[in-house]
Amino acid sequence: MDTGQGATVDPITVQILRNRIGSLMDEMHHHFFRSGYSTIVRESRDFSCVILDARGRLLVTPPMFFHATAYRYLVARVLELYGAEGLADGDVFICNHPYEGQMPHVPDMGVVMPVFDGDALVAFAGSIAHKADIGGTVPGSTWGQAQEIFQEGIVFPPVRLYRAGTYCRDIERTIRANSRHAETTLGDLRGQVAACGIGRDRLRQICGEYGADRLKAALTAMVEAAGAEFRAALRRLPDGEGEAEAFLDSDGIDYTKPVRLHVQVTVRDGRVSFDFTGCADQGRGPVNIREALVEVCCFQVLIGLIDPNLPYSDAARDAVEIVLREGSVVHPRAPAPCSSYMKTCMTVIDMLFEAMAPIVPGRAAAFSGGSGGGLTVDWHDGPRKVTNNQYEIYGSAYGGSAAGDGCSGTTVHLSNIYVTPIEIVETEFPCRVTRFELIPGSGGDGKHRGGLAMRREYALLQPAMVVFRGDRATQPSRGVAGGGPGRPSRFVVNPGRPDEREMPITTRVELDAGTTMLIEAAGGGGYGDPGERTAAARAADLREGYVAKG
Amino acid sequence: MAEPRYRLGVDVGGTHTDLVLNEVSTGRLRIEKLPSSPANPSLAVLEGMGRLLSGGVAADEIGFFAHGTTVTTNALLEGKGAKVGLLINAGYRGICEVQTQARDEGNPFDHLFRRAPHIAPPSLTREIPGRIDYAGAELEPLDADAVRRAAAGLAAEGVASFAVCFLFSFMNDAHERAAAALIRDAVPGACVSLSSEVLPRIREWPRFSTTLVNAALVPVLARYIADLAAGLDDRAVTTRSRFLMQSNGGVMPLAANCESQTVHTLLSGPAGGVQGAAWLLGRRAGGRNIVTLDMGGTSCDIAFVQDGQPLEHAETLIAGRIVGVPALDVSTISAGGGSLARVSAAGLPVVGPDSAGADPGPACYGKGGALPAVTDADLVCGVLNPAYFLGGRMALDAAAARSAVQTHVAAPLGMAVEAAAAGICRVVNALMADEIRVQSARKGIDLAGFTLVPFGGAGPVHAAAVARDLGIPRVLVPASPGAFSALGLLCADVVHDYVRSELRALAGLPPARMEEVFAALEDRARAELAAEGLGAAETALLREADLRYAGQGYELRVPLDGIPCPLSDDGLAALEARFHQRHAQVHGHAAGDAAVEVVSYRLRAVVPMPKLADGGRAEAAAGAAAPYAKRRAVMADGAAVECDVWRRDALPLDRSLPGPLIVEQPDATTVAPPGWTARLLEDGNLELTDGAGR
Repeated sequence: MDTGQGATVDPITVQILRNRIGSLMDEMHHHFFRSGYSTIVRESRDFSCVILDARGRLLVTPPMFFHATAYRYLVARVLELYGAEGLADGDVFICNHPYEGQMPHVPDMGVVMPVFDGDALVAFAGSIAHKADIGGTVPGSTWGQAQEIFQEGIVFPPVRLYRAGTYCRDIERTIRANSRHAETTLGDLRGQVAACGIGRDRLRQICGEYGADRLKAALTAMVEAAGAEFRAALRRLPDGEGEAEAFLDSDGIDYTKPVRLHVQVTVRDGRVSFDFTGCADQGRGPVNIREALVEVCCFQVLIGLIDPNLPYSDAARDAVEIVLREGSVVHPRAPAPCSSYMKTCMTVIDMLFEAMAPIVPGRAAAFSGGSGGGLTVDWHDGPRKVTNNQYEIYGSAYGGSAAGDGCSGTTVHLSNIYVTPIEIVETEFPCRVTRFELIPGSGGDGKHRGGLAMRREYALLQPAMVVFRGDRATQPSRGVAGGGPGRPSRFVVNPGRPDEREMPITTRVELDAGTTMLIEAAGGGGYGDPGERTAAARAADLREGYVAKG
Repeated sequence: MAEPRYRLGVDVGGTHTDLVLNEVSTGRLRIEKLPSSPANPSLAVLEGMGRLLSGGVAADEIGFFAHGTTVTTNALLEGKGAKVGLLINAGYRGICEVQTQARDEGNPFDHLFRRAPHIAPPSLTREIPGRIDYAGAELEPLDADAVRRAAAGLAAEGVASFAVCFLFSFMNDAHERAAAALIRDAVPGACVSLSSEVLPRIREWPRFSTTLVNAALVPVLARYIADLAAGLDDRAVTTRSRFLMQSNGGVMPLAANCESQTVHTLLSGPAGGVQGAAWLLGRRAGGRNIVTLDMGGTSCDIAFVQDGQPLEHAETLIAGRIVGVPALDVSTISAGGGSLARVSAAGLPVVGPDSAGADPGPACYGKGGALPAVTDADLVCGVLNPAYFLGGRMALDAAAARSAVQTHVAAPLGMAVEAAAAGICRVVNALMADEIRVQSARKGIDLAGFTLVPFGGAGPVHAAAVARDLGIPRVLVPASPGAFSALGLLCADVVHDYVRSELRALAGLPPARMEEVFAALEDRARAELAAEGLGAAETALLREADLRYAGQGYELRVPLDGIPCPLSDDGLAALEARFHQRHAQVHGHAAGDAAVEVVSYRLRAVVPMPKLADGGRAEAAAGAAAPYAKRRAVMADGAAVECDVWRRDALPLDRSLPGPLIVEQPDATTVAPPGWTARLLEDGNLELTDGAGR
């Protein structure tokens, strides 16, 4: 296989090294996961670890996909700032800047480690992980009402944490001075560096076995091979066009104004074009997303619709065109805030599925319930001393599809995140989970019903500041092909009591001991005409309590 | 116990049932291999025994019977468990619906994702008022009437097996125990699985899932055991020393309490071979560290033995369900003799995950398979002898193998057919080496000093190449690689595992409290062993603690062996030091100044059993020790070499033979590539040594 770089390498070696890089990424992922300090890492797995070629291109699909497209921008920015010749063995860069390296939001810390064999730059090891707290206005750093990234925490453009193997304590001191939870934040960062170190050591071992030139040639070949496979799959799509629009509840600042998203999809001769220029202007609040995330949404949908086993590499980008308008919610200008990126991504994905339904009808689906929301609780003093923030991420449900009912009570699309066990919540934090169940009837009706959302209720035993960031309270998950909408989400304080308060779905509130709060995610949309739902399916829904009786 | 004349191990696998009869005084082994009877697995077991008995073995001279079965695994995989009713705290049904909230085994790109069907769907779930808090205090009393109504109602729906899953039952099991008594009153003969008995560990969903799986399988295992016991009685096998293999590499008596033990049998299949390797090969000087490579028809199982002990993990995913009891840490990859090779759209050669299985099987089986499998590649390379597969009982079609490799791999890659076949072998070998590398790194293992032990039909063919890729210079091929799992059954102790969670900071934890928790576990162990008729005198009780840094979500198991009992402050300090050390070993970093928490206490009760002394005994070859042929074979690196071909029973004892050579025996073929030497050891194992070992 000629890679145009001098060294040649046979397809068998390429395949062997491709498998080996894949398993190396698994190894890094697992290491970091097991050693994670913060709740976010340990229960939510909001992190990724990768190996990239010397140009910063991703080689194979990582275990956690939604950072996949960001790495290339991160390495590109490192190279732009320091130059390939400015990198040294033992350098480690960190970066959490959404506009310099395209980190999804400020709490996501990227780590990049160049890998050298002798003097030759061979590859990069990288990692991105959500941090427990990186400063900013609110504990946990993610704030649904932020209006500039500066309110979301201390921002690092790519800077060195290690310079040629020497640890820069200045950076640690800076983080320590800014983070409300410096130990867990620094502990996680140590874990990321250790995971990258494993990647570097293994790559060097491979260099020893195959030679750096052959390894580099093989890396190039595996990127190109996956790109060729992706393009071949796109060529099997029929030509066609589709269009869809969707709305976010609000930008978190002006609660009365939904934010419009829009896409025009064109498939022609194996090339796919996504035109997002119809999206609204960038929001004042943190609903904006950077290009890397728009890209990851597009690839998530293409892979899901064509073949969930289709491998991704950065060469797949060549066959896909994404058109964005600068200053829009999907291509914001700095310093527009971006910390609530996930709900925007979820809605972009649901919208893309609807737009592509006429082109790929066999795997078409209705809207999912989107992001079920994220909860951060900063416990104030009381009988129980609490050192960590309570941080939980909720799933929602899949929409119904051409193939069947949507799955209930699950994270969807880009999110594959574990629920925090009740027994962990109550053992570590002064609260009680008083209810945890699916919401009957929350899935949109249709030939294939939307999945049901979950409801979780808490009793607070100590005062706390609570941040909740949700969506789909006023813009429910849409049905497709005649299906009905899913039930909207809710965040309620003291439900069923005289002082019950229906809160905005994205909110920050001080609550006293004795307060209860109810979180209800949004259900998935239905797919197809409800008149076509079989009697057996309706009877099963009744028997299992998936629809309300009566 | 008086030494019996014979000990019998019976392993029921997916395709074959293997029996190994060991004559204790001579160490001689007799092996019977017959097709499994999936509809009623005990039929093949009893038929095999019939063969042994008609061959002159007296039934009452069999003094020990150990059995490995996949009966519970298969019932779970095929959804043929019992109808289960679930009792759960009122208001918390969502735990079983949302589960982990993630798509654990699912493809993250697949928006059509579905979970495994409920073991107890909502219509068979009853919510029971009553609640315990995190410290074990009662917040709300158990509603006994609700339990009675639930039991009667579920029984009317045909439920005979109940799962009782209440929050924080690991801190206080009073509600679960009271519910069990009420259910037994209301439904005489009901099976009742309590989460506080099956897995009294923190984190509700893994505990509930394990309890539900247990409940679904209790009746299945109980029925199977009853059939088997009756069959043994019918054949006048009088011994009461009857045991079942468990996932943890130990055995449990057939008479054990299924209600708490069933779930421990789920991974007994792969455990036998690993346990056999640990005992037969891992306890010897210089061979205490082992990687096992069990390469069968559709998959390859990989496990590690360190310091003579098989490594375990505390949680497994089986058929999409979390099972949280200790199991030997066996990882399975799609790399078997039947794994299919193809060229991807990217123009790269891919092996697996699709498999030709047993039917149609590889192209060379001549049963209609047209796609090339790994076995076909081995045949094209000249490594396998088409006339001596399964000892000649099955002729292989070499032309069909060649044509399959040519059409589907060689032609698309523009390579010669033998080079393509060697390429297939290289790819599958690298997959196995990758998995060993990943797993060893995950476990914090340095492979230096490890021996690779291949078994299963295809393992010894590929072992040397895998070992060289990993820099492992030594491979030990056991005497009967094809029946090694059955042999492993004769190498196990009775092992019961107990766990209980109580999350507390280690600093400030009174040693007396830790001692108290362990003592309670020890009392339970002694009582259960006594109920099984096993003596306390020779029982070893091994303590472990699950520790973590405060705020971490996962724990490391740290043994307390060597720390004096009753525990003191010094003992706890020693435990903490071990944890920091272990964390650094497994994760590459430690935080000596961070607070450490105890999450769970573990106890393992081990009753030693008599074991097989050797893998078999090598006997001097009957005729002259000489290769019977020479054959040209292509090694995985693509080089064609002339190999001496030996029958294993013709190998000279304790003499180093230079590779390249091929050793054939009815159940396996061993390859020693150039640079390797082969030597038959007195204990019957065949040792391969890499002269180019790094």
